[in-house]
Amino acid sequence: MTAALLTLEKLEVVYHRAITAVQGITLAVEAGSIVALLGTNGAGKTTTLRAISGFLGIDDARVTEGAIIFKGERIENRPPHENTRRGIVLVPERDKVFPNLTVAENLAAPLARAGAAMERRRHEALAYEFFPQLAGLRHRVGGLLSGGERQMLALASGLVCEPELLLVDELSLGLAPVLVEDLLRRLAEIRRRLGIAVLLVEQSATVALDIADYGYVMENGRIVLDGTAERLRRHPDIQEFYLGRKSGERRSYREVKQYRRSRRWYG
Amino acid sequence: MSRSPRASGYFRTSYDQDLALVQTRLERTSLGVFIVALLAFPLIASPFQLDLACQVFLASIGSLSLMLLTGYAGQISLGHAGLLAAGAFTVGILFREANAPFWITLPAAAAVGGLLGIIFGLPSLRLRGLYLAVSTLALHFVVIYLGGEYEARRGFSTGIVIDPPKLGGVSITDARAWYFILLGAAAATLLVCLNLLRARTGRAWRALRTRETVAEALGIGVASYKLLAFVISSAATAVAGALFAYYRGFVSVEAFSLFLTIQYLAMVIIGGMGSLLGALLGAIFVTLFPYIIEIGLLALPGAQRHASLLFAMNYAAFGLVMILFLMFEPLGLVGMWRRMQSYFLLWPFKHRPAAGSRG
Amino acid sequence: MQLIANITVLAAIYALLACGYVLIYRVSRVMNMAHGELAMLGAYLLYTTASLFADHPVSAIAAALVLSLTVGVLVYVALMRKMTGQMVLAAILTTIAIGILLRGVIVLIWSASQQHPLQVLKFSNPSIELIGGARISTCAALMVLATVAVYGALFAFLRFGRWGMRLRAAGQNPLLAAQRGINLNAIYALAWALSTLTGSIAGMLIALDSGLDQTMVVIGLKAFAPALVGGLDSLLGALLGAVIVAAAEVLAIHYIDPLLSDVVPFLVLIATLIVRPWGLFGTREELDRV
Repeated sequence: MTAALLTLEKLEVVYHRAITAVQGITLAVEAGSIVALLGTNGAGKTTTLRAISGFLGIDDARVTEGAIIFKGERIENRPPHENTRRGIVLVPERDKVFPNLTVAENLAAPLARAGAAMERRRHEALAYEFFPQLAGLRHRVGGLLSGGERQMLALASGLVCEPELLLVDELSLGLAPVLVEDLLRRLAEIRRRLGIAVLLVEQSATVALDIADYGYVMENGRIVLDGTAERLRRHPDIQEFYLGRKSGERRSYREVKQYRRSRRWYG
Repeated sequence: MSRSPRASGYFRTSYDQDLALVQTRLERTSLGVFIVALLAFPLIASPFQLDLACQVFLASIGSLSLMLLTGYAGQISLGHAGLLAAGAFTVGILFREANAPFWITLPAAAAVGGLLGIIFGLPSLRLRGLYLAVSTLALHFVVIYLGGEYEARRGFSTGIVIDPPKLGGVSITDARAWYFILLGAAAATLLVCLNLLRARTGRAWRALRTRETVAEALGIGVASYKLLAFVISSAATAVAGALFAYYRGFVSVEAFSLFLTIQYLAMVIIGGMGSLLGALLGAIFVTLFPYIIEIGLLALPGAQRHASLLFAMNYAAFGLVMILFLMFEPLGLVGMWRRMQSYFLLWPFKHRPAAGSRG
Repeated sequence: MQLIANITVLAAIYALLACGYVLIYRVSRVMNMAHGELAMLGAYLLYTTASLFADHPVSAIAAALVLSLTVGVLVYVALMRKMTGQMVLAAILTTIAIGILLRGVIVLIWSASQQHPLQVLKFSNPSIELIGGARISTCAALMVLATVAVYGALFAFLRFGRWGMRLRAAGQNPLLAAQRGINLNAIYALAWALSTLTGSIAGMLIALDSGLDQTMVVIGLKAFAPALVGGLDSLLGALLGAVIVAAAEVLAIHYIDPLLSDVVPFLVLIATLIVRPWGLFGTREELDRV
């Protein structure tokens, strides 16, 4: 069985040398697949993505245990620009574009992967192809874009780096469902045409399981469930807690709490 | 309060015990020995060494007050030399214009310092970090300018000469007398600082240094405590400047350059931020530094030739040492001292157990 | 008329020095308090290369510029790189300490007496007569031209150059810039190189005009005021700030008291901090970035 494009093995990340954000994370992303990482606020999803993409010195965060293996190489605790040159590109949740640069400048600023196959002009043309609205906004300053336009710009500028793995953090946050559907379609299109693998972090399980092949669920810094998208969609826990579908009569809060208590698989 | 590591088996059973300055028997004994040594020092020291000790005491007052302001209350100030100048000039002006005795000039210096403290501190209510530092720097230049103006207008272009203070008609000129006076002043300052830090004021300062917004939310009057830090620190600094004026018998604006501010900041950083012991260690280090450099320089072959370069050598070495401490030892001398203490206390273990470890 | 000429020359000096502060601050949020000393180093390097290339003044100037650029990059790589992410006080103090170190080293290498690179380069510095009977020296005129040229080049580079754009990007959002493949260390080194280069040009011209000694550090410190008045991350602000501070200083010296020359920039600084701390064109959020 061929090794996955990206593998995390028992990853542990510590902030400020005192706070353990995630622990024992093991997951894999196959080349060309879309993997969803689900979980509520504070579950550690963003931390996991940032660990893969790389921390800057100012974050005071470190991978203290475990490994991140990308195309056979260990890449934990590397600066972000190195990982980007390797082919891992992060589309962050906040601060996803350069606010004082125009759209055109936002697309011109990124540096493509070392040994990139396409020239820079073709990259930008590709970005406009997947996101035609951006062409009309070429001279608009990034900070003045609407939420949807900003997300498109963020994805497009990520594409310009010619990634093999795209890490997307909270695609749907703050966007109208229509826009989200649109973006998902484009993401699937990008995967289909360019063969880019995607690790999609989402609070909204509906959104993520729609296009994902495989999924992991995180809670309190650990992975608690994983499986194909189909299996996750049918799982009663996921249905109850993430998809909002109750089975049978209403449960009282006390029962819910007990239920949660019985799901302690870890310590 | 960041206390030094202790061997096990020491328990405190009351709040008073917890707050006490000297706790274990070892601390009591070492303090006793230290005090005896300090008091006996003048008996065996040469005048040069006495002068050095006096300089260290003077520097300590300044560095303790800066430590309160920057190390504990977290307010960056680049105006320290200006405050020292203010104290010195108050003494000079009052002496020249009104022939005032020291028991008027010293409190006056403190008052002027406190007043300037409010002025230096006002920017801190609106600004933080870099901008606050810059505002204090600008105010420093204003104070220096005013001092220079006074010198120029009153014809003291080379500086103001001050007679030594008189106690009951007798001028205090003996080096040993000065030693004890300055030792007393430094000790008094240290005690005041220790008590301030043990009390509500110290806790408020620590809170606002760590997270100002949280301190405000907890009901700590951030503005008034910031100003209080500036006022107390500036008053103490001005008194240090005043004592400096009396000790040297001479006040001139050139002595209060930006480099002096930086020397005091170096005392705070090299000593170790957030620790009174650090202020003292830093004061000792920075005061003795030029003399050590001089000895080192003279020990090199061809010493005579190098003598003229002493000042520049001093500058360069000082800058280098500061950089080294900032880059490699941000916790300062106190950090090194605590690490050494930990090493001996914890031996044969190497590290203390991490807080909140598993299992 | 002479007043206006004086203001223009002083504004040019301040502007050329101030842009060095702005460049580094805009890109890496670091206040380089050693800028004056680095500018002075550039001037001293010119003095040395002038002696070495006695009959080729152009080579001397070029060599000095290259050397000072190298020093700027070295200072970043060896010293400041380690300080990114540390607290503000530590970073400021590190630059101050670098300044002190440089000052000591300069005196050790070149001695504290005043030097005259002008004579060594065998240039002359006649005064030029302008309209209205005002007089300025050739070097002062060169200074104004240099400032215009440097600012023009910087504006063009930042606005239209690809790496200039990346400089701006890294200044706005360093994390995102790193995530888009931009090596932050390289960008910061570039900013330091540019800053030292412009500072050295200023230092050399000042030295050519009025001799070279330790007092240049004071000018470097005073030039910080225009940078802040204009907004620490705005080049245009630095230019305007320089004009304002220079005007205030020259007018104060002329009409009130010559001794005020060292204090006026700081008075303007204090006024700015009271009224509008983020400067004329600075971004407002800068205030809370501690």
